[in-house]
Amino acid sequence: MRKHLSIGLAAILLASLVMTACGGGAASGYKVGMVTDMGGIDDKSFNALGWKGIEDGIKELGIEGSYLESQQQTDYATNITQYVNQETDLIVTVGYMLADDTASFAAANPDVNFAIVDFSYAPPIDNVRGLTFATDQASFMAGYIAAAVTKTGKVACFGGINIPSVAIFMVGYEAGVKYYNEKHGTNVEVLGWDTAANNGVFVGNFESTDDGRRTGEEFLAEGADVIMAVAGPVGQGTAEAVQAAGNAWFIGVDADWTVTASKYSDIILTSVLKNIDVAVLDTIKSASASGFAGFGGESYVGTLANNGVGLADVASGAISNDIEDELEDVRQGIIDGTIDSGWETYLSNL
Amino acid sequence: MTLIKTSAKAQRRARTLGVVLLVSALAILLLFVPGANAGQTTTFAFNETRSEAFAIPELAFPTRAGLYLMAALTAFAGAYQLARGFTRQGAVLGIVAGLFVLAFLTWAARGQSMNLTGMMKSSLLRAIPIILAALSGVMCERCGIVNIGIEGMMLSGAFLAALIGSVANNVWVGLIGAMLGGALMAALLAVLAIKYRVNQIVAGTAINILATGLTSYFSSRYLQKYEVLNTPPTFLPIPLPGLSRIPIIGPALFNHTVPVYLTLVLVIAIQLMLFYTRWGLRTRAVGEHPRAADTLGVNVFLTRYVNVLLGGCVAGLGGAYLVLSSVARFDELMTAGKGYIGLAAMIFGKWNPVGAFGSSLMFGFADSLQTRLAILAVPIPSQFLLMAPYLLTMVVLAGVVGRSRGPAAGGQPYEKE
Repeated sequence: MRKHLSIGLAAILLASLVMTACGGGAASGYKVGMVTDMGGIDDKSFNALGWKGIEDGIKELGIEGSYLESQQQTDYATNITQYVNQETDLIVTVGYMLADDTASFAAANPDVNFAIVDFSYAPPIDNVRGLTFATDQASFMAGYIAAAVTKTGKVACFGGINIPSVAIFMVGYEAGVKYYNEKHGTNVEVLGWDTAANNGVFVGNFESTDDGRRTGEEFLAEGADVIMAVAGPVGQGTAEAVQAAGNAWFIGVDADWTVTASKYSDIILTSVLKNIDVAVLDTIKSASASGFAGFGGESYVGTLANNGVGLADVASGAISNDIEDELEDVRQGIIDGTIDSGWETYLSNL
Repeated sequence: MTLIKTSAKAQRRARTLGVVLLVSALAILLLFVPGANAGQTTTFAFNETRSEAFAIPELAFPTRAGLYLMAALTAFAGAYQLARGFTRQGAVLGIVAGLFVLAFLTWAARGQSMNLTGMMKSSLLRAIPIILAALSGVMCERCGIVNIGIEGMMLSGAFLAALIGSVANNVWVGLIGAMLGGALMAALLAVLAIKYRVNQIVAGTAINILATGLTSYFSSRYLQKYEVLNTPPTFLPIPLPGLSRIPIIGPALFNHTVPVYLTLVLVIAIQLMLFYTRWGLRTRAVGEHPRAADTLGVNVFLTRYVNVLLGGCVAGLGGAYLVLSSVARFDELMTAGKGYIGLAAMIFGKWNPVGAFGSSLMFGFADSLQTRLAILAVPIPSQFLLMAPYLLTMVVLAGVVGRSRGPAAGGQPYEKE
């Protein structure tokens, strides 16, 4: 009896492990595998966007695609190993947290191609394409808008964990607010982030929506009326807090939140878009093309100019036509390089 | 002889307390006063939100003067304790600890403002899921079943709260669904641990893995794809008549949703049940010495089954709170370790509901405090601030709580002879 039981239990456990890791795709040919970061495939954020890029590849190019979810950091290596063993052609690892594992597997398997979202290696690794995004450019614009709409003179942002791919949003945001202050002689304060100190408010994870709600309420209580959350699904809790308060705005990141979290549409000021799907599809296209000779250590940088990053539509009626015009100038200035988002300075001060 | 000894010991303890108070006063003077400039003021705000109907004016005072006052009060308490001695030393220690925290906040908010009411409210709300997890742990461990699976039970509860609540479009049905979710996982633990005598740590871990896998799978397959399955209604805050009008603490403590009130009632109810009812006596007997309880005619297996199932319901409520009272949706892994922290709170609370409540509140307070400090841009790296809840707990555990001992038969399967 006990033996049967332990076999049964083992089977249940195995099944639940398998259930957390599955994906679609049936066509034969070029195989692409994606390893997610924690937060799940449906985080409405970078895991989901990465997978969308692969799905687009399945549709447009007829490749074979699947994903494996990581529930904890120790899953990264396990999942990559699975794909290596399945002779996958291109392994996409989603997120900064997978950088170490990706690098060691890429070195051990020179004939497998890798692409990693949110990271680029210095010095570059031959068979890895780093997919990075100048999100500071888009969040600079978001900061500019936030400063324009605030009534309390306080705007806020917070992150999941203080890592460069999170901080980059906050650096751009603060710079955008400061630029607005400079232009308009206002004195809008940024709560939750200080570029000079490289310090701010972080919830310490990318899962706890409850932490997101509480942190949102703390900001509202301290007088902020625009909040940007750079913490994946955690931001949904914040949006809930903002909606309950009713007199504030929320700024989403990564995807367009009026689409992915449509029930908060009435309080979403705008979203800072990080078009990971564009970058992943671009990578699949070049790597699966005939005559592909390896990445050669090149990396992809999404910018306002190449549509790798962008800003979603601003809530209608939230900003005046004047501000809209100014925003266009800001965008042009960033593309020309006449406006500095502060990211390079931040990096050099680290 | 013994009488003289104890009084000598008491005297020594009284003296130590006096010295501790004097040292705290000195610490306020040395640590906080130098940081504040002469002209700076600290502002404490007491309105929960900007749109408060009965706005309470903010309290602004010169930072330095405030700190001197607090240091003086602390020093006075210390001097009085050394010279005459307080009769209620525990209360004095509590008040002075509060003063010290206030001094710290005064220093942190120098030149800025800080919302104290919001902080109180946030501390309580952050503690709620931890309290429920800890209560679930108490229910199980008091009868001798170690429950590592609280996290999984909360997660299943949260999942079913979202799913059933959405389908029925009713918060109460969602609440019952959540308790069912927790109880289902608890039933698995009970059968494994009681009937098949599987190692309880292994069984609990298996439940966590199983719950993570199942909920993540069904969430990504259904809940995230079909929004109608993941938009449960939520409980609205109910202000307690009269009490919620009390300035400062009213909006922080007496304007909450049903699950929050329910949690507070449960703390008292479980405390009373454990220590003042027949059921409680039997539960504790089974947890301490099942053989003896059995000899006296207590049904060990039944007691354990009932307790574990009830514990599962309570953990499920924790999940329900997250979904139906906080964020109005289910997301993968949304409990984010709160079940484990609840387990820690249970141990710090000495396997006692009220104790667990106190230590959960401390976790909540430290969590809220670290967020406030980060908002005020206190020059402490965020990584260290995030450690604050755990550091504080360790200090309190080592300094105040002392040795914590669980039920003697915890973790041991019982076999009838």
